[in-house]
Amino acid sequence: MSGSLGLLGLDQAELDSCVACGLCLPHCPTYRVTGADTHSPRGRIALMQVVDEGIAPLSDEIVEAFDSCIQCRACETACPGDVPFGHLLEVAKGVVEKTRGKAPWWLKLGLRALPRPRLLRAGSSCLAVAQRLRLVPSQRLGLPQRLPVRRRALRATGDDVWLFTGCVMDAWQRDIHVATQQVIEATGTTVRPSGDAAPCCGALHTHAGLGDDARRLAARAMSALEGDNAILVNSAGCGAALKDYGRLLDSDEARAFSARVFDVHEWLVDHMDEIDANPPAPAIAGRVAIQDPCHLRHVQGSHMAVRRVLEPFVSEIVELDDEGMCCGAGGAYSLVHRQLALDVRDRKTGAISRSRADVVVSANPGCSMHLVAAGLTVRHPMELVAEALRAR
Amino acid sequence: MFSDGAAGPVCFPDSTEHVQAIMGVAARFDRAVLARGAGSGLSGGAAPLGDPIVVSTTRMNRVLEVDVEDRTAWVQPGVINLDLTRQVTPLGLHFAPDPSSQQVCTIGGNVANNSGGPHCLAYGVTSAHVLAVEVVLSTGEAVVLGGLDAEPFGYDLRGAFVGSEGMFGIATKIAVRLTPNPESVKTLLLAFDKVADAAATVGAVIASGLVPAAVEMMDKRCVAAVEDFVHAGYPREAAAVLLIELDGLRRGVEADTAKVAEIGRANGGTVRVAADEQERALLWKGRKSAFGAVARVAPDYYLHDTVVPRSKLVEVLEAVYEIVDRHDLTAVNVFHAGDGNLHPLMAYDSREPGVNERVAAAGREILEVSLAVGGVLSGEHGIGVEKRDFMEYQFTRADLEAQALLRRSFDPHCRLNQGKVLPSAHSCADIASLSASKADGVWG
Amino acid sequence: MIAPPVIDDAALLAFAAEIGSTGPVMVRGGGTRWHVGGAPHSDSREVRAPTGIVEYRPEEMTVCVRAGTTVAELHAVLAEHGQRTALPDGSVPGGSPDSTVGGTIAVGRSPVTRLGDGHIRDAVLQLHYVAADGQLVTAGGPTVKNVTGFDMCRVLVGSLGTLGCIGDAILRTRPKPEHEQWARLDDAEPEAVLNTAKTATAVLWDGSVVWARLCGHHVDVEDDLVRLPASCEVPPPDLPPFRWSRRPKDLHRLPNETGRFMAEIGVGVVHCERPDPDPLPVPAGVAALNRRVRDLFDPDRRFNPGRSVERL
Repeated sequence: MSGSLGLLGLDQAELDSCVACGLCLPHCPTYRVTGADTHSPRGRIALMQVVDEGIAPLSDEIVEAFDSCIQCRACETACPGDVPFGHLLEVAKGVVEKTRGKAPWWLKLGLRALPRPRLLRAGSSCLAVAQRLRLVPSQRLGLPQRLPVRRRALRATGDDVWLFTGCVMDAWQRDIHVATQQVIEATGTTVRPSGDAAPCCGALHTHAGLGDDARRLAARAMSALEGDNAILVNSAGCGAALKDYGRLLDSDEARAFSARVFDVHEWLVDHMDEIDANPPAPAIAGRVAIQDPCHLRHVQGSHMAVRRVLEPFVSEIVELDDEGMCCGAGGAYSLVHRQLALDVRDRKTGAISRSRADVVVSANPGCSMHLVAAGLTVRHPMELVAEALRAR
Repeated sequence: MFSDGAAGPVCFPDSTEHVQAIMGVAARFDRAVLARGAGSGLSGGAAPLGDPIVVSTTRMNRVLEVDVEDRTAWVQPGVINLDLTRQVTPLGLHFAPDPSSQQVCTIGGNVANNSGGPHCLAYGVTSAHVLAVEVVLSTGEAVVLGGLDAEPFGYDLRGAFVGSEGMFGIATKIAVRLTPNPESVKTLLLAFDKVADAAATVGAVIASGLVPAAVEMMDKRCVAAVEDFVHAGYPREAAAVLLIELDGLRRGVEADTAKVAEIGRANGGTVRVAADEQERALLWKGRKSAFGAVARVAPDYYLHDTVVPRSKLVEVLEAVYEIVDRHDLTAVNVFHAGDGNLHPLMAYDSREPGVNERVAAAGREILEVSLAVGGVLSGEHGIGVEKRDFMEYQFTRADLEAQALLRRSFDPHCRLNQGKVLPSAHSCADIASLSASKADGVWG
Repeated sequence: MIAPPVIDDAALLAFAAEIGSTGPVMVRGGGTRWHVGGAPHSDSREVRAPTGIVEYRPEEMTVCVRAGTTVAELHAVLAEHGQRTALPDGSVPGGSPDSTVGGTIAVGRSPVTRLGDGHIRDAVLQLHYVAADGQLVTAGGPTVKNVTGFDMCRVLVGSLGTLGCIGDAILRTRPKPEHEQWARLDDAEPEAVLNTAKTATAVLWDGSVVWARLCGHHVDVEDDLVRLPASCEVPPPDLPPFRWSRRPKDLHRLPNETGRFMAEIGVGVVHCERPDPDPLPVPAGVAALNRRVRDLFDPDRRFNPGRSVERL
């Protein structure tokens, strides 16, 4: 029994697949910090149902309940009934955005800037200079401690694989791209960085309910990243978005494109033995805690690959005891829902401190910036591996 | 199923004082009060009837104190069952009651429902693991029932409070017993071609003098739904599987494991012993996700929770399949076989016209069959609103009046969780009028 | 529509008739704990509960027994099937061969094996009792697991017969262990024994000597005996008559003037020669709640007048 008749345009079969058992609750970061069912997947689905069926109006409280979701999708991993919560929420938020224009103006403005790489880089450089002059409270704003004024250029070495470089990450964390390219090339594979031709994956637009913008960006990325070769992504959020183009655009072409997308760790697991083991790389000392980005763990399901890639290069990996609970970053979420994001982050920093880790790694720029703002040192796994390889 | 109520004001207290203040306001304005934990109950016990003030305990979620020497902990009611166990695991301890919903249900809810779980077969239900409860009564007064000493004062009001489904008071602090982790654990998965053979194995294991930590049964439909989710290697072709766990000391557990395997094989089963902790955890994850996994069968489900004598398991199971088939519904069975606690589950689509009536009729017949063989209405889910009107199947008027008296000892105005457990004829109004007439000499 | 099972046990009905609905009544069991909570007034009618085993279902691990039956008699029958209950018979220190099932439940005191066997209240599944108005009431249910309605059984266990007169009980039975024995340890720390002896169902300490009751698989008890300091197979002496209630961890802080004692390590009961000089204070709210329960169940105080859970 599929199809949709309701006011939110939700797929009835998807809605019905929730039996309200509640097994999602402990995995939901916003339920964990608020204790409110309306801030849980089960409660949000119940609210979608009553709005969809016209039983309750789309009130401010209900919109807030939808908006407060970080979209980590941990509930989908926990759900024994495979309820596609992420998709339900995206559709519901799309309707909310269309009918009420709920996303704040400054967020929309910011999101429009993302696909303009030169503007983004120029703006970032200005910010970097202001940072050096101590004109911006970086930590409070969740900015990286030291934004780059200049960036090392990425150069294509061939066409074996694409490296998707994205928007903010390219402007703020290009060193990670450099490291990633080095690691990929250590397997004897040539790399073509995507650069400005595919400026943004559109993930944040989808999350904000700006579906049309997201679809435009998807089409642009698809035409830029041509060919049949693999597209490697080192940002968990972007990887999840690119892998979802098949559903977003609902075309065979998009599905074929998505099938070429791999998280870089996922791809490296199958190419580890191509890295020259002579001389062996010395292990990086200390306890390394892995923060699993939600879009790697719950959406792509490739978080174990990060461990397998890191294992040969670090002396000890420690697991956090929070079962991959979200850190609260959620792309632009931490800007819009500041207090909730901080409360969620407190749980994460608690888990990190209990782990007694010396280094925290995260394969997603949003998560690492959010954690850096809490005073932690966070590295990308590719940086550690590149460092170990360089030390040979 | 219960759509005739709605929540009034919803409060999120984070201390005993907050709960006392809420009770004070409720008393002043004579409003009903309903306590609620994670809302994972299966009998509508935390569903509001009328428009009560809802007291959500989810923010009272701190473990206040762990006493390793006495193996006890004081917790707030909103602490999630599994969170407590996780927190004390490094100390070699755990909280023994493990309802299948343990990753979400709160200890306050466990206390309200006297929750069971697979491992209560050997370890006992919640009541055996609660030493003391700080309770806010409907007057706003806070009292501590029970105590950490061996034989606390007076009647066992702690025991009365556990399982009172939120109708005696609101627990604001709970002292629980922590159980040392067993030295050795073995989990066996036994597969059978016939449900009757699985049931016979359960009887034979118990009769042999073994007390397994858990004996769980799942039928073919349940196995299919669960296996689709966990991929633990549950045998889809089996008519029924048993999950039997033995724990204790190493050598004794080895001997018991061999004995159970032998009994299983003698009854026509194939036996697999979980090789490591990972395999064991996956098997249990499957079992504990079973109700949610039923969403793969149909969008709605309704289940009962009767307990029958173990020797009647086969008879009752056959009757359950017959009843559910006859009402054109889908039966899924997953239950605590070791203590005869059935969870006959009917999967259906509530939008199908007339289906709710068929579900209700089939449910009633299942209850009748269970009680007719000497069973009880509920083994661990509680009565709530769902089985309230069936209480007269099991109890006489005098029995129910006695229960109403106990309730009124705690909550004279019957302000807490109105409309639950006791059928309307034994509700507060009725008792209140009886009490009023006492002056006229009716109650000699 | 089905109706609740009718109580058709003639002995039980006669018991209810004898108790009736008026006048003070005291129920006598074996009289082995007659002093607990104060002796009943002598002007009360003395009634005895019916005796005999109503139904024993070894495969269900349950037995229905009338309250006047002695625990020793019950256990003799259960032993034929290798089973017993958590109630004390004459074979454990502090137990008496004369104790009845009803009396043991009404007094509510567990034997020294509580550490391993659990509190006796957890062995009580169903009770039939006669209420103050003379009606027979069913508390609990016949199955090994049950949460149907409020937990009336727990309130009656340890109520000293002040809320209702127990007529019969359905009890949970347990398989007897493959092996059990006492081990006397002359040179051991009680807490260390508690933590080492994994098969211990009782650890007793008199201030210098430790006794552990080891129960379970032969091989597991053997392993325990290897782990423990040297011991000999000697049971503890008889227990002093009074019970003090303590937290388990407070047992090594007993005052010097305690006198001869035997402490249940891991449980907290201390058996002493004299009443507890320093019982925990009872908060007014808890005392009031206890009184309210009694007022509602027995408004005229006809049951066991003179006895009270407040004077334990």
